[in-house]
Amino acid sequence: MNRALHRVALACLAMFLLLLVNINYLQVFRASSLASEPGNQRVFIQQFKIWRGEIIAAGGPGGAQQVIAESKLIKGGFYQRYYPSGYVYAPVTGYDSVFGSTGIEYYENRYLNGSAPSLAIYNLKGLFTGKPKQGASVYLTISPKAQLAAYQALVAMGRPAAAVAIDPRTGAILAMASYPTFDPNKYAPIDSAYVARIDAQYRRNPAQPLLNRAINDTFPPGSTFKIVTGSTAFSTGAVATPDSTIPAPQFYRLPGSTHVLTNDNDSPCGNGTPPIIFAFTVSCNTAFGKLGARLGGAALHRFADLFGFNDPSLTIPLPVSPSSYPLLADPAETAMSAIGQFDDTVTPLQEAMMAATIADHGVLMRPFLVSQIRAPDQSVVYSAQPAALRRVVSPRVAGDMTTMMESVTQNPAGTAYLTAGPPATGILIAGKTGTAQNGVNNSNLDDAVFTCFAPANNPQIAVGVIVKGGGFGADAAAPIALKIIQAYLGQR
Amino acid sequence: MTAIAGAPGDAVQRVPLPRGRRGSELAMLAFAVAIMAFAYADAGLGLNGHLPPGLATYVGGFAVLVLGAHLAVRWLAPWADPLLLPLAAVLNGLGVVMIWRLQESGRGANPGNLIITLTAHSALYQLMWTAVGIGAFAGTLALVREAKVLQRYTYTLGTAGIVLLAIPALLPSSHSSVNGAKVWIIFGGFSIQPGEFAKIALAVFFAGYLVAKRDVLSLASRRFLGVDLPRGRDLGPILTLWAISMLILIFESDIGTSALFFGLFTVMLYIATQRKSWLLIGVGLFLAGAVVAGQVIAHVHERFVVWLHPFAPSLIQGLAYQPVQGLEGMAFGGLLGTGLGQGQPYWTPLVQSDFIVTGFGEELGLTGLMALLLIFGLLVQRGLRAAITVKDPFSKLLAGGLSFLLALQIFIIVGGVTQLIPLTGITTPFLSQGGSSLVASWIVIALLARISDTARRPPPQPIQDEGMTQVVRAA
Repeated sequence: MNRALHRVALACLAMFLLLLVNINYLQVFRASSLASEPGNQRVFIQQFKIWRGEIIAAGGPGGAQQVIAESKLIKGGFYQRYYPSGYVYAPVTGYDSVFGSTGIEYYENRYLNGSAPSLAIYNLKGLFTGKPKQGASVYLTISPKAQLAAYQALVAMGRPAAAVAIDPRTGAILAMASYPTFDPNKYAPIDSAYVARIDAQYRRNPAQPLLNRAINDTFPPGSTFKIVTGSTAFSTGAVATPDSTIPAPQFYRLPGSTHVLTNDNDSPCGNGTPPIIFAFTVSCNTAFGKLGARLGGAALHRFADLFGFNDPSLTIPLPVSPSSYPLLADPAETAMSAIGQFDDTVTPLQEAMMAATIADHGVLMRPFLVSQIRAPDQSVVYSAQPAALRRVVSPRVAGDMTTMMESVTQNPAGTAYLTAGPPATGILIAGKTGTAQNGVNNSNLDDAVFTCFAPANNPQIAVGVIVKGGGFGADAAAPIALKIIQAYLGQR
Repeated sequence: MTAIAGAPGDAVQRVPLPRGRRGSELAMLAFAVAIMAFAYADAGLGLNGHLPPGLATYVGGFAVLVLGAHLAVRWLAPWADPLLLPLAAVLNGLGVVMIWRLQESGRGANPGNLIITLTAHSALYQLMWTAVGIGAFAGTLALVREAKVLQRYTYTLGTAGIVLLAIPALLPSSHSSVNGAKVWIIFGGFSIQPGEFAKIALAVFFAGYLVAKRDVLSLASRRFLGVDLPRGRDLGPILTLWAISMLILIFESDIGTSALFFGLFTVMLYIATQRKSWLLIGVGLFLAGAVVAGQVIAHVHERFVVWLHPFAPSLIQGLAYQPVQGLEGMAFGGLLGTGLGQGQPYWTPLVQSDFIVTGFGEELGLTGLMALLLIFGLLVQRGLRAAITVKDPFSKLLAGGLSFLLALQIFIIVGGVTQLIPLTGITTPFLSQGGSSLVASWIVIALLARISDTARRPPPQPIQDEGMTQVVRAA
């Protein structure tokens, strides 16, 4: 019988070999296709078993830091996201939910959940030390002080609004606040029914709390666009210096049109041919409309592009909605667009970028939110290198524009003298107000816009603020910018 | 073996004695207990972040039990193969740990409360059944001092086996059916699977019957198409067994057990007769039966459909849910596994019984599962080794049959849950939750240990120096 037993032994060996080959196929070669089967509950659940990395606002002066998103261990070995100041940082962090994520949570997900290839070595270490998989921490350029000041000022204003602050020297985004906003903590529970209900409520809300107005909503820039018009005039040589005079009639009938452009309250603009700095300081529409028509649509379009308009590819890494300055041929339309009306639109971030360009002596730095990414052992796996997007204007032109923007706050006739000038603060702010008409026949309340940087002689922060329906720019938007600057510079 | 004692001129010439290797067995048992202890601690750390509270109880209790088994072997079967007991012990210990781990994730507020078929005491019961199983192991060694003694009870055990198999089919469903398989005897909260014991009884019966009839079954033949075919009248036994296994399949909805019995008989028939024609007939009959059953019997047909298309949208939330969860669990474990207590085996229904291998695959990974399969393979190999070395034909056939039974059972269940073959629900020896399976598995190990003890026991030593006389023993 032994011969048969030997054969049976071989048959048993064959059966075990088949099993071994099959489980190798299943657990190695077929593993990834099984993992990506729709409805694979393990893979779905697993994301909540990862100790997701923290998001830290680390751009404070003097290195002040604040954890703005962290994971807490709840029962069952699951981690739930917690946002200590949810509303304040919601436009930055976004949320991480059972249905997906937004904001930094989405755009840095591979680092936060530890799946980025550069973190493989740390995952491998964890495999042998038995620690739960841990993601990397994302350090942001956001300054906790500036962000809180921005959010509080927006809440106090109580209208749909957004504010962005940039370090003009690097492009680091210091604050990015939007109002009304949402509580990302409500998206955190591992309870799909609850999260679905919350999400539906937010989406039904006409105030659009999920909209990040700082980068994904656009508004007419109003008179703040005169920064582009002025820069174009100086750069092309059409206007030599801030003291060069330009025509500024009380009423300006647009070329080839019956529409008559006026200044605020139909007032005259100086003596009718004021220096451009005066027209800028008091924000004469007729002067800059006429100047725009003279510069031409193509030149304005070229400089608008340089300042960052019409760029659909900007990411910080959150994608930024493009600000728009159309290429115009019609002189009447060009004149309107030169004072920030017609079809011009900007994001609050674009407003801040305009001021930052002037502040940085004419160079536009690429705006960015992530300064560093650190693996669980604190080693740095990514470190942002500030990079110039492009030179927009020459240092001389930037200097001239700075002089004009200082005048807006420092000249008692300036539009922002009371709100951002000596009566309000000792900080030397260079800025430009905007009051944008909008709606059919300008039936809606004006949008208030303010863009500025400070200190004007040593720029450290550039701010763009837009308040929807805020009325006169200097009244609604400038005080918000001032609060952010004061908080960041630590001065009154 | 030839031994020469007291050659001229030598004072004493020592013959190297065969060794029982009980010391090696004890060392390996200590290793098995250590593996169980580490696995249990690991599962506790993985689940709750601290050592499980019952660590000393479980590990201590298990250590005492296997030590008892070891002492029983020392006393009752000192020449038994030293690998059998440690291999069985490590499997049994890991099974208890996995059931504890599943029971723990099945309670509280986490998603594991899907495992409604486990209670807070499932692992403790499994440990108690381990005690019963090791008791049965020692009892079998004590009662069966020579395997060939069982030959006397060939027909008694054969009848007992058939009756045990048939009882669930005859009982009303409320006393015999769990999850669609009518293989239980359930009375007042206590349930056994008689089929687990029937397979041992029937293996003994087959061995006795075939040893008696093997000459006629192997010699009388007609040659047809180059194959020696048995005479028609000799086909009786295999046809009877085939009919019985088909009846099991039809009345107890239990394809796995049916395949197991028929495979066991066919292979034992082959070992006894050494004639391949029996294998061909057996395999042919089984395949024909399976194909017909697949066409005619709805739930057998379903098994085939699920095997071929588990991810079909119409099946994935229904019939194929369990096998798909098992597959996804194993894929999730990947090469190294999630670690005990850190996977999500609780998604797989009945992961503690039929699908326990997928739970191991998920948490111990391919590496751990391959180790488990190799342990099973080694167990089968030691059984076959005993069969080959033992001289008594009945013992030889019984050891060969039981070893193959073990291999076939592993192949059917592991192949089933890994989509190698259509899934049929049978238990995984030593690992699955359930007393009947565990006790029966320990009895199988006891019989293999007994037969290996017979095979390895040295022949009686000459009592006195026989001087110049050469003692020659038959090889």
